[in-house]
Formats: sequence, structure tokens, C-alpha cells
Amino acid sequence: MQTEIKNKKILVVDDEKELLSLLSDILYKNGFYNVITASDCAGAIKTAGAQSVSLYLLDVNLPDGDGFELFERLRKISDAPAIFLTARSDGSDRVKGLGLGADDYIVKPFLADELILRVSGVLKRVYGITETKPVFSLSGVTVNLETATVIKEGKETPLTAKEYILIKKLWENRNKIVTNDALCMAAWGEDYYGYENTLMVHIRRLRKKIEVEPSMPKALITAKGLGYKLVTENE
Amino acid sequence: MNKTIVKIFILFTLSAAAIATVLLGINFLGIAYISSDAAANIYKRSPKRTLDLVAEELTPTDGGFTLEQGLVPDEDWCILIDESGEVIWSEHMPGDIPTHYSINDVARMTRWFISDYPVYVRTTDSGLLVLGVPKNSVSKYSIEYSMNWFESLPWRILLVLMINICLAALLACIAGLKLYRKLRKLCGGIQDLQREKPVRLLEKGVFKEISKAVNSTSDAIERKNAALAARDSARANWINGISHDIRTPLSVIVGYSEELAKSEADGESRRKAEIITAQSIKIKKLIDDLNLISSLEYDMQPSKRQAVRICPLLRRVAADIVNSGLSDKFEINLDLRSERAEVLGDDSLLERAVFNLINNSIAHNKNGCAIQVIEYLKGTAVCVEIKDNGSGAPSEVLDSIAEMPKSAHGLGLPMAYKIISVHGGTFSAWNDWGMKVRIELPSA
Repeated sequence: MQTEIKNKKILVVDDEKELLSLLSDILYKNGFYNVITASDCAGAIKTAGAQSVSLYLLDVNLPDGDGFELFERLRKISDAPAIFLTARSDGSDRVKGLGLGADDYIVKPFLADELILRVSGVLKRVYGITETKPVFSLSGVTVNLETATVIKEGKETPLTAKEYILIKKLWENRNKIVTNDALCMAAWGEDYYGYENTLMVHIRRLRKKIEVEPSMPKALITAKGLGYKLVTENE
Repeated sequence: MNKTIVKIFILFTLSAAAIATVLLGINFLGIAYISSDAAANIYKRSPKRTLDLVAEELTPTDGGFTLEQGLVPDEDWCILIDESGEVIWSEHMPGDIPTHYSINDVARMTRWFISDYPVYVRTTDSGLLVLGVPKNSVSKYSIEYSMNWFESLPWRILLVLMINICLAALLACIAGLKLYRKLRKLCGGIQDLQREKPVRLLEKGVFKEISKAVNSTSDAIERKNAALAARDSARANWINGISHDIRTPLSVIVGYSEELAKSEADGESRRKAEIITAQSIKIKKLIDDLNLISSLEYDMQPSKRQAVRICPLLRRVAADIVNSGLSDKFEINLDLRSERAEVLGDDSLLERAVFNLINNSIAHNKNGCAIQVIEYLKGTAVCVEIKDNGSGAPSEVLDSIAEMPKSAHGLGLPMAYKIISVHGGTFSAWNDWGMKVRIELPSA
């Protein structure tokens, strides 16, 4: 299923030759073999017209126009997602880019991992490619996110919808504190105020399922005043 | 400034009233002087005095009287009338004076005239002594006042005086009010000048010259500010442009050094490549800071203004710091008392400010410390206190918290200060068994 993402055709547009070849290199080394490049708006339009592109990676500063304009013109050709690559760190460009309907926004300079993560993220989201959901073990139990179940002492217990969301969020940020706010937001959305106590109830239930000794949690640790942390075994 | 105007106004009115009173007094004396006949008698004996002298000096002789020569002035005359109305002695008596007087004649002349000669009368043992002065040299009026008049005189004088003072004060007030109006405009202009607002005063009247000067000063300030703003924005744009230009080559450096670090090259080269990556990331952070500082410096308002809930922000920052691998020597405690508190502003900037403050405590206490973050509402302000029990900050750092340092080192506190000030908040930092910082932001 991973190869499905990596087969997608990516059009990279940047006027810096060096950066262009670096981007292609990074993408290529990470398995994205289908990368084409253009160094200006005209070239990008021409290429996009000739081939079906799955993702645009656009520089904001181009010799014959800006990336925002190019994005609007490319949108007329295809509905492929776009990620802006910019040398400006201030918020205004970010708001403008995302406001136009871009899918993500990367500020230069960037780390290769970050680039790949964002490109994969957008592709997965847009093309609905589902990840294989992980199965992981905590101290004494195994959690299967694919089936949304917990196996403790050979017994399988299903997770409720909220418990599933919470443990998934904690797993994605494993071994790091996830704030109450982030957990509530994941479970109840933007307007989560007032759900703090409900969160505690759900965490308590979750502990009963995933902890060998729920009163002395070893996997789902409370970070006092901040949130919770999921401690995984030898990751 | 308005206080000054009121002071001037009061002073003006009071002094006008005082001047009026003094003038009134002087005028009163002046009238008394003008209306009295004292001046006429300064160099000459008064008729009454002459009469007294004559009465004393007139000595009876057998069949008549004698008087020292020259006692009666040459232009005057004097007679003595006995009980029966006969003139029994005279000096310089003109021919048109009768020599016999009836009771009626005596009654008529005692206060007034004999044949148009003004006369003064005195009784003696020998009879009625009459001194006459030349015709038309003196006019005589009879003045009568009731005793009531005398009794109420002080009150009436006081009343007139009061009316005078009041009138003087009123007139001064009116004049003062006119001046006050003009002064107020002028003062307003000067105050605006102080706030560097454009001023345009009407150039006429008493303060024409001053108004002109204020107007031209305002013009000068405006010109100077425009020049400064142009220079500042040019500098901000330049910094923005340069950092923009650095980012692209830096991306290439980071990209390839990262690649080298992961490659199959020998250990030494990989280590070097890792250092290049790390240093490049440092440059990236410096550029970000430079841009942030420059935009804070020149745009006094955060570009983004939205309601930001403070408590989740504080938790997020604290969690991020803990997650980034905080040593066990440090401890972060949150005491958030007003969960719903919101401020208006840019969440990423505010996050940066809080991060800088907590990070500052960590960076300057290598041996560890406990950091306490307290949040509460005080009136309409959201207060955040960040305290540590470490070694505290050097006083020169606390003193120059509002100034940007000359290098990227020690940027944390001034940046936090700046972020809080552009959000309209207050920032105070002090040492009290560790470093303490209190932020107050206007609640949304």
C-alpha cells in the first residue's frame, strides 16, 4: 500500500537549480521515483498540461510570477493537491497559501524527513490511502489498532470509539506528553471546553483495559497538570 | 497641562480682583483729597482759626476793644455784635455791612452770608464775633444726615466695596475666559505635539506667533517621523529580503549535509556532515529570530489577532519543553486558576514568549531548578507568573530587558518582553530567590 503513494507523480517547481535537484534527490531516495521538475510558471503549466500530476510542490518566489498565482492556474488544469515551499517565515504567506486551498506549507530550510512526512501525509489524505494500523505492546498488554482491541492476559477486550481515538492519539505521540487539550480536541473537536472531567473518566476506563494494575499505571502515565503519556516498550 | 490652565485662570482672576480693590482704595483717597478744601488752607490760616485767635486776643478797653494789628488779614473783615444787635467793634469792615442786626438777621447770617460776604461766627463773652471773607471766595452748602445714615454707613460702604470686588472679578473672569479659550487650544496643540500627533492651530490673535511655531514644529516632527518610518521599513524589508535569500541556499546545504550524514561515507565525514546540518539548523533559527524581532520592532501590532486561550497554550509549551528531553533536574509545575481566560493576539508569538521565559530558567540553571507557572485573572487582565528557584538573573539583564541585545545571545527575555508589549501587556521581571517574571495581558 505504501508503494501506491510512492508511485504518485510529483511536480516540483523552483527557480533554484540546486534546490530543484536536491528536492528530486530527497524524494527519489525516499522511494518517490515519479518526480518531474519545472523552473518557472510557464514550464510548470506546460508540464501539468501534458501529464497528469498527483501533487504540486511549489516555490512561492518564481521568476515569472508567484507560486500563489501559479497554483490558481494549475487548479484549472487539475485538482491535484499542492504544498507550498517558501523562504518566508512570517504568517501572512502561510495564511494566504492555505487560504487559497493549498494542502500544506513548508518553510525553507527544511529537513529531508519533514519534507517526506508532509508529502506522504498530503498524498495519503487526498488519495484516501489507508495506513496499516499498528499493533503494539505496552507493559503486559498488546493493543491492536486495526481491530480496536486490547489483549490482556490472553483475553481480548474491544475499545470504545473514544478510547480508540485517545489511544491512537497517544500512540502517534508515544513516549511524549500529550496535553489534555490535544486529547479533548481529538475526541470532541474544536469546542472541547468542559470535557476535561469526561476525559478523566475515559482515561480511567482505558487504564482498566490496558493496565495490568490500573491503580498503578505503567503504560498510560499522568503528567500532572499537563496531560498524559503513553510509554511503549523498547521502541 | 489643563491643570496649568486652570491655575493661570485662577491667578488671573484673583490678581484682577486684587488690582480692582487696590485701585478702588486709591481712588477713594483720591476723591477725598480732591473733594476736601484742605489744600486751600495749607499756606493760610483757616477763617475759623483766625476767629479763634481774634476771640482770644480781643481785649476790652474803656469804651472799646483793641486787637493786635494784622491778626485779621487785610482782605478779611471782623465785627463784634453785642446783645442788642449793635456792632460794638469792627476791623476792615466794608461799607455795605449793616451796623445793626435783628435776631432774624443773626439767624440768617450765622451759617451763611452777610451781604454776599461769606461769614464765620463765634460767640464770646462780649457778644457775637463775626469774621467775613471776600465775596465769592467761599461757597457754602448745608449738609444734613440722619443718624440712621451714620449707623448704616459702614455696611453700605462694605456693600459697595463687595459689589466692586464682585464686578471686578466678573469682568476679570470674562476676560480670563476669553484668554483661557485661546490658551486651551494652544495647550491642546502642544499636548498633541508631545504625542507626535499632527497639529494645525489657527494663526491669528494674541498667540499668532506661538501658534505658528507650534504648527511648524508639528510639520517638522511629521517630516522626521515619515523619514524615520521610511528608513525603518526599508531596513525591515532589507532584513526580510536577506533572510529570504539565505533560506534557499541553506535548504541546499541542509539537504545535502543530511544526505551525507546518512550515507555510507566513513565515520569522520558523517560526523562532519552532522555538524554541518546542526549548524545550518542553528542559522535557520537565527534567521527566524531576526525576522521575528525585526517585524516586532517595526510593526507595532501582531499581524494576527484572534482569541487565544491561555491555559492550553501554557500546557502546550510546558509539554513541548518536557517532551524535548528535559533533564530530571528540572521540574515544571502548572497552577492554572482561570481555565477560561482568553487574550487577543497571535498564538504562535505568545507561545514563543512563554517558551522563551521557561527556557530561560532552564538555560541559566545548569544544576536544575523548579519552575512554577501560575495563571490567574486580575480584574480585566490575564496574569501569568513564571518563577524559578534558581540562581536568578544578573541585574544588568533585568535592567536592559526592554532593549534588544547586540547579538543573538540573550535574545530570549527581550523578545518575550517585546511580544508582550506589542500585545498591549505589561512585563515585569525581578529576582526573589530565583528569577520571577509576571506578564499581564488584557483579557479578550
